[in-house]
Amino acid sequence: MKQRELLALFALGVILLGLPLAVLGYQYWLRPALSPNRIIDIAARVPEQAGFAPDAIRVAVGETVTLRFASMDVTHGVAIGPGLGVDLGPIDPGQVKEVTLRFDRPGIYTYYCTTWCSPDHWRMRGTIQVSDPANPDVVPAAQPDPVIDALIAEGIDIDAAHTPSAEHAEISILAFHPSAQRGEAVIAGGLDVPAELRDPVWRQSHTPAEALELLTGQNPAASERDRLDAIAYLWAQDTADEALATGKRLYNQNCAACHGQSGGGDGPAAATTAEEPVAFSDPGYMFERRSDVLYAKIRRGGMGTGMPNFGTLFTPEETWALVRYLWTLTFGTPPRTHTG
Amino acid sequence: MLNQGRIDLLERMPPLKRVLKARAFQPAMMLLTLAVFTLAILAGLAGTPAGNRNFGIVFVWIVWWALLIAVLVPFFGRLWCTVCPIPAPGEWLQRRAIVQRRPGRLWTRGLRWPRRLKNIWLQNLGFLGVALFSTIILTRPNVSAWVLLSFLLAGVVLSALYRNRVFCRYVCPVGGFIGLYSMLAPVELRVADPDVCAAHKTKDCLTGNEFGYGCPWMTYPGSLQRNAACGLCFECLKTCPKNNIVLNLRAPGGDLLVADERRLDEAYKAFIMLGCALLYSAVLLGPWGWLKAWANMHTLPHWGLYALGFVVLNLAILPGTFGAAVWLARRIARQPQPLRRLIVDYAYALIPLGLAAWIAFTFGFVLVNGSYALAALSDPFGWGWDLFGTASTPWTPLGESVLPFLQVGVLTAGLLFALHTTYKIARQNSAQHRAAFLATLPISGFAVLITLGFLRLYLG
Repeated sequence: MKQRELLALFALGVILLGLPLAVLGYQYWLRPALSPNRIIDIAARVPEQAGFAPDAIRVAVGETVTLRFASMDVTHGVAIGPGLGVDLGPIDPGQVKEVTLRFDRPGIYTYYCTTWCSPDHWRMRGTIQVSDPANPDVVPAAQPDPVIDALIAEGIDIDAAHTPSAEHAEISILAFHPSAQRGEAVIAGGLDVPAELRDPVWRQSHTPAEALELLTGQNPAASERDRLDAIAYLWAQDTADEALATGKRLYNQNCAACHGQSGGGDGPAAATTAEEPVAFSDPGYMFERRSDVLYAKIRRGGMGTGMPNFGTLFTPEETWALVRYLWTLTFGTPPRTHTG
Repeated sequence: MLNQGRIDLLERMPPLKRVLKARAFQPAMMLLTLAVFTLAILAGLAGTPAGNRNFGIVFVWIVWWALLIAVLVPFFGRLWCTVCPIPAPGEWLQRRAIVQRRPGRLWTRGLRWPRRLKNIWLQNLGFLGVALFSTIILTRPNVSAWVLLSFLLAGVVLSALYRNRVFCRYVCPVGGFIGLYSMLAPVELRVADPDVCAAHKTKDCLTGNEFGYGCPWMTYPGSLQRNAACGLCFECLKTCPKNNIVLNLRAPGGDLLVADERRLDEAYKAFIMLGCALLYSAVLLGPWGWLKAWANMHTLPHWGLYALGFVVLNLAILPGTFGAAVWLARRIARQPQPLRRLIVDYAYALIPLGLAAWIAFTFGFVLVNGSYALAALSDPFGWGWDLFGTASTPWTPLGESVLPFLQVGVLTAGLLFALHTTYKIARQNSAQHRAAFLATLPISGFAVLITLGFLRLYLG
């Protein structure tokens, strides 16, 4: 009897003392000690329930960290940018996905949700501050953006209202949709395209409406439809296949919830934004837009419109890919892609 | 006469009797469940906060719950209380022993449990409290762990202050409904001959002897008529010098007809359990996202409204509506008994319907979410382990095609059982068949409406 009592007492000790010590010891001492790098567990909840926890991480240059993202409520998606090329894809409730990273230079990176998870989805972001071990308290300064700086120097109001000018108001009620596909045939058929319009740098800082004026001056006898289709082709042609794929992926992950998958401004979250999301598929609106302004708006966000900033998420190259994808939502994709 | 129509399992199966009489049996079971319980608490505190990947949530609120409500309670009554780990540490401290029968007084302050709390009102309130926060408790591992830990600590504290298992008998929110539904079980612990107990001077089952302790549930087996207050600890089987304890196989539900032990607190337990099953089904399985958001405490004012509705439905609307049905029954059947007494009597007819509703509700989420158990078994803390090679088991809802049939079948069986019980209770209050039949009609109407409500929720 005595022996059984001792055995039971031993079992009780193992359960009430040994088990907690083993579990907590593993979690807080052995597991970090066995791991070759620091493991950071990040819980992902919808932003209304606090979003990422933690939502700020500090890492030293040269340090290797493993980030383990676990979805706590609904399906989220996680990507980290800018320029890291990390996209963990969808993370279902309870699922854990991890990525191991090593940062070579100081900077600030953002991990963000790529699946429309709630009305406040776009707020779901966290930052990784990579600091120099020699100066751990120095926050890396944001790099200036020459495109935005040039717009400011030019006096362009990035947040100007969306109303089309009276001069081109009729474009918004076009009886037909300008087609890049048809435009290519029109140009091949002999339409005289001014040299500026063939210059991608010029097109970047001018609107299709301005281009239309030049084209009309050069081709007064051409039909309006031919001229518009030619413009559509010129604006949609700047997209290499790879950039188009990148732009499409970024658009679907980050923009489609509000602007709609086809760019109709009718995404499932459209009703929740402060201002009605613009419709990129509307040529009347897009004829008045400049690519560099679209670029600036994506990177900096729209003041008071509910449009978040993506400059902390995308590289400039990714942002340009996205802008070019937007033009394909307006004009469609030409049968062949050209650059230059 | 007492055990007529019953089969004594102890007599039929001597090895079972040997096992149940062994002092090591219950502690061994409790140590086993205590290990799992401790693991569940630790997983909740230190493991992944994702409930569906955490052992603490998956094994407590899916596996254990399903086992309890769909198997243990309906078929074995209070068998869970035999192996429940929650009172174990407190009881072993009281006894200063785990296996052996240690002579001497229990190690406790020996305070007297207040007379006015010698009922299950505390258990009713405790269950309501847990149910009110259930969407949080059932999904957040750390909250769940703290609740389980608090149960364990409450058991220890109450054992230190009071003799025996006060926690199990009067406080445990789970024990309250297990006791209620154990009255339906086809097994019962009773005495073979009450006259033997009456004539027995020393009452070893209450005082204990060298073979075992006095009943920890403070129940006198000699007068046992129902399962509700017997925790199946089998101490009386060990201590009875007259070999007078039997473990019967019987027709289910006989306890519901023990008229002289019906009480308002138990009647309210029947209402609360039925009301909670209805609300759980609406919140967790229903199509109303806003209701789920309210229950999940997305905003405090909305949760406040939900809590108010929850309490009012359970404590006022459901009993009030049932009371109206009983009032009508009393009037048309011209039953002379006081209305309050009839409400209490007829409330026992809701017990089979309540259990059926809980089983149907449990099927609904266990078949859908049961596959999480395989992943949690291999990776209990969500740390990326794969102990048994099942950590990557995808979520696989089971039995989608048979689920509605199961739910309809169980609810129908529960309804028929309830109607049958209603009539039997009515016959206890009316000598004539016709009057009893008339009294059955409004109460049956109530039960049918409730069942239709469940079917609407489950079948859409």
